[in-house]
Amino acid sequence: MTSTAIALDRVTHRYGTRPALVDLTLDIPEGEIFGLLGHNGAGKTTTVGILTTLLQASAGDAVVAGHDVRTAARDVRASLGYLPENVTFYNDLTTMENLVFFARLSGLRRPEARIGEVLEFVGFTGHDHERVGTFSKGMRQRVGLAQALLHRPAVLFLDEPTSGLDPEGVRALRELILRVNAEHGTTIFMNTHLLSEVTKTCTSIGILRSGRLVHHGTLADTVGAFPTEDALERAYFASATDAPA
Amino acid sequence: MSETVTLARKELLDLRRDRVVWIVVGTLGLAVVLSVVVASLDFRAQLADYEAYAAQVKASGSGVTPAAPQLFPLQLLRGGMEYVEVLGALFALMIGYGAIAKERSRGTVDLLLTRARSGTSIVMGKLLGLAILWAVIMAAVVVTALASVALIGGSTIGWHEVGRMALAGAAGWVYAVFWSAIAVAVTTLTRNSTAALLTLLVLWLVIVLVIPQIGDTMDPDNQVPGGLFKALAIAKPDEHAVLHHFATYESLRNGLEVSSLSKLYERFTFATLGIKDIYNGQSLAVVWDGTFRYVIGALTLTGAALTFAAASGRRIHTLRRS
Repeated sequence: MTSTAIALDRVTHRYGTRPALVDLTLDIPEGEIFGLLGHNGAGKTTTVGILTTLLQASAGDAVVAGHDVRTAARDVRASLGYLPENVTFYNDLTTMENLVFFARLSGLRRPEARIGEVLEFVGFTGHDHERVGTFSKGMRQRVGLAQALLHRPAVLFLDEPTSGLDPEGVRALRELILRVNAEHGTTIFMNTHLLSEVTKTCTSIGILRSGRLVHHGTLADTVGAFPTEDALERAYFASATDAPA
Repeated sequence: MSETVTLARKELLDLRRDRVVWIVVGTLGLAVVLSVVVASLDFRAQLADYEAYAAQVKASGSGVTPAAPQLFPLQLLRGGMEYVEVLGALFALMIGYGAIAKERSRGTVDLLLTRARSGTSIVMGKLLGLAILWAVIMAAVVVTALASVALIGGSTIGWHEVGRMALAGAAGWVYAVFWSAIAVAVTTLTRNSTAALLTLLVLWLVIVLVIPQIGDTMDPDNQVPGGLFKALAIAKPDEHAVLHHFATYESLRNGLEVSSLSKLYERFTFATLGIKDIYNGQSLAVVWDGTFRYVIGALTLTGAALTFAAASGRRIHTLRRS
């Protein structure tokens, strides 16, 4: 039986009086690649913020890798890897210096060997001693992914991972995401508004609209309900007018 | 603890590559050297005046030899210590502010928060890095000061001077740590970096300049250049007798002055280095007897600033952009 990697139970979040998330309930089993879709301002980044302990929900419960985000935030952080949208590092430090820093913060005492392993995995060798400030967006995304994988997290959160990447970068990152999931069984939670990426990467999806979850299901079921070439696009736009799922 | 050390090491690596830090170290060093040059020139001018006067007295056939001006080598550091008091505080604020503000401007806060155990450990790690940096800067100031006094002032430096200067350096370190802690706490708790910087500059202005200046202005002895009592040729015992009638006023004035850490630092270092006349040539035991309450006051204020900084770590999410 597959256990739950991420669970949200009636999670609500407000910025002042404006609701960003309303009664979000969601279960994501271990080993899934879950894509959270939604328009700008739908509540995707807020959801990731709550699950990565960066934000505290106004109401409701959330559990990541068996740990409550409110009462066991440290354990949650130890279990997750996070690649923020527009990942930034310490520009004056080299790839190695940045990764050694984040690895030590993640509790790795002698991280050099692990860093070599992860850089090899993300295909970013030969830049160890270059300053991160000189890197392109695509290069930084690779270092970002390496950083997120250093401590072998159970769950990986990717916030708009392909945003701003060129087609080659998008493809390379997609392949890496699939490999992380396949080779390490890591559960992946990704925010995106690129429908094409979801169809090529995810095993299940959720659609947020104005802070409410209006659709949740496996990719196969979703696409099956709209058996045309643009199935996911149809599902996405249909959910805009549907009642919440 | 190891997380705090990791954060401190990264901070030091960052600071080492920061040009502003090198400019700060260079400026403080230069200020100390210049102050010794100016003080030495002033002393030589006094000495030349004395020699000319003594020659005149001798030429007049008088058998009386006027007292020669005395040089206590560490007195040449008065200006240098004042620079540490004013500029050191400002530089500690700027570097402390930068240590936190750069996380916000670079956008590295989110990554940091998902990796560190707590906001308090982030803040304390940064403070540890800053404390180590200031220990190095103060050591450099001590060495520069002693070298300047020896090479420019032409004085002999013994263990006595080295020990006293080391004490002044330690006081400078505590002083810089206080300002670093204040800067880190205020920047962490303020949503906007510009507002944080303005708040820090106002604090610096009030604590370093305004309060000590009010205290100085209220001092009856400062109403005439060179000292009121000296100008009126009133002897010390009579001065004390006069001031006895203004005991409440003097307590208030003194209380106001010592509410500023800058004044506590100044009183301690001026006493230790013998810059203040009454401590000239006095043993450290006498200096300690006269200044231990300033030391306790300074340590208490610095401890409070560190506690404030540690507590600000709980609100570190304020630094997030959204």
